[in-house]
Amino acid sequence: MSTLALKGPAWVTVRQYRRTLWLALALALLALAVVAGLRIWTAQDPVAPAEDGVWIASPYNDGYLKLRWILEYVGFAAIALPGVVAAVVAGPMVAREYESGTYQLSLTQSVSPTEWLRSKLTVATAFAALAALAVMGIYWLGRLGVRQGWDYHWGHPGTYAASGITVFAHVLAAVAVGALVGQLVRRTLLAMSLAGLVTGAVLAAFSAYRWSLLSTERVTGPLHSGPRITPDDLHMGSGMLTPAGTDFDPSICWNEVQQAPGVDTQEGLWDKLTNQCYVRNGVTTEYVEFHPSSHLWPTQLIETGIVLALAALAALAAFRVLRARHP
Amino acid sequence: MSTTTEGIALRADHLGMKYGGRRGGWALRECAFALPAGRICALVGPNGAGKSTLLALAAGLLRPTEGTLDGPARDDLAYVAQSKPLHPRLTVADTLRMGRELNPGRWDETAALRVIEGGGFSSDTLVHHLSGGQRTRVALALALGKRAGLLLLDEPMADLDPLARHQLMGLLMSDAAERGTTVVMSSHILTELEGSCDHLMLLARGAVRLDGAVDDLLAAHTLLRGPVGDLAPHTVVDTRTTGRQLTALVRREGPVEGPWETSEPSLEELLLAHLRHPEGAAA
Repeated sequence: MSTLALKGPAWVTVRQYRRTLWLALALALLALAVVAGLRIWTAQDPVAPAEDGVWIASPYNDGYLKLRWILEYVGFAAIALPGVVAAVVAGPMVAREYESGTYQLSLTQSVSPTEWLRSKLTVATAFAALAALAVMGIYWLGRLGVRQGWDYHWGHPGTYAASGITVFAHVLAAVAVGALVGQLVRRTLLAMSLAGLVTGAVLAAFSAYRWSLLSTERVTGPLHSGPRITPDDLHMGSGMLTPAGTDFDPSICWNEVQQAPGVDTQEGLWDKLTNQCYVRNGVTTEYVEFHPSSHLWPTQLIETGIVLALAALAALAAFRVLRARHP
Repeated sequence: MSTTTEGIALRADHLGMKYGGRRGGWALRECAFALPAGRICALVGPNGAGKSTLLALAAGLLRPTEGTLDGPARDDLAYVAQSKPLHPRLTVADTLRMGRELNPGRWDETAALRVIEGGGFSSDTLVHHLSGGQRTRVALALALGKRAGLLLLDEPMADLDPLARHQLMGLLMSDAAERGTTVVMSSHILTELEGSCDHLMLLARGAVRLDGAVDDLLAAHTLLRGPVGDLAPHTVVDTRTTGRQLTALVRREGPVEGPWETSEPSLEELLLAHLRHPEGAAA
């Protein structure tokens, strides 16, 4: 890292963690080289175009398969990055200062404790944002070399993380959570695990509930010739409706049919009996719930907003703890 | 910290510090003193007396639980903690650069290099690879390079060999004398303090037992040798009897009259007497 242009506490921070920074840069360059190499390899042995353009399985092409395999990891890196950032900030950057006593050195120079923590967090944020950009860039370099597929759908966690703006909010929150946990725990390893865990929990909560932020859209159609959504839509669920318009629980019919004699042996009997059951219960309509692709950006923006608010709270708490401890 | 009264470098008033919340014990309690500027103050006391706590409070690392401690602002004090914390992955040169970066406008590279000289290591050595004594040198170099008005040193010489101790102590004293720096230095090595300190503060169980200029303190005490007898009205700090022979260190109340041979105690004798009876004669 060039530390020539840096001054004051920022210089100290970059100097202190230069090995980590170099390591991260080397890792990013390695990933870039691998993905770029695979793109060149696959370009020399192009994959035949898919018939429907979208849902075909990947062809048996070694470079192509490897590219897809690597992409999975790059997508995972986009998801895991905030956790790593939180662990690094909480452990080596903050808790270790307390654990090893070097805070006594840092806090008795001419910079205020607030300035000290702020410079650490600024360096961490700048670097984490660059790392997020690098991961996204590498992801898309690879992504443009593969055809569509369900695992590259915009709703897929890896793609979602590597293509939007939420990752920037998540790394900001990770830096703030790291600063808070590091000060509260003051033990490097414990702080790393705890901050990683907290950030992981936030990410897990959003993975589980982000598609509940906006209400889904629903298409209905007659039973068996069901409603269709486009491959670009994100399928969220499907079901059947009673004439009253309420959800019909299909297990009612399955349980009933299961007890009928001969369903195991007689071919087609299961389907026949289930359909009879549906008709008897008045089920004539099927529905599919989904998010159209137009929901992607609003969802990203709402998630970003919530996470940024969490980041602000954590940062506020971190600076309050600092000021309460050190005059 | 607010500005101190003219001529006072560090002033404590009802100062108390408690660790570990409500159930914790008091590390310092009801401390009151006013250290005149320009003094070289020895901070002595048994283990756990509160010396390190007092220095950390003065350094602004801790908030007092009660009372106040007024001293110079963060940029006008330098502190060397007992464990001599330094960033292990920085080189010596980087550590000094850190001093410059974190103390813009004050940093004196020459003063810092003078401390490093003779340490037997090059400036591109990683701090991680330094010996305990060499770390002490780097920590002291950072403190002196800051050019602060108040120097707070927690057991600064503990890791040094006698020769290095002598050299660094000389350097420290001449630097302080030249610049009129106030130094507060805790130590267990009594000989280290003799001849270099002109002020003494004795802490015991979190309270100030003795505080004043060394000359005044020595003049106020008398070492008695002679037959066993009533030493009133003097305050007895420490007595020892061998047969019928008595040796006592007293704080005089008026002239000593009696069959005793009197002499002024050395600083070491005075300190040992008070350290033996930390709860004894109050200051």
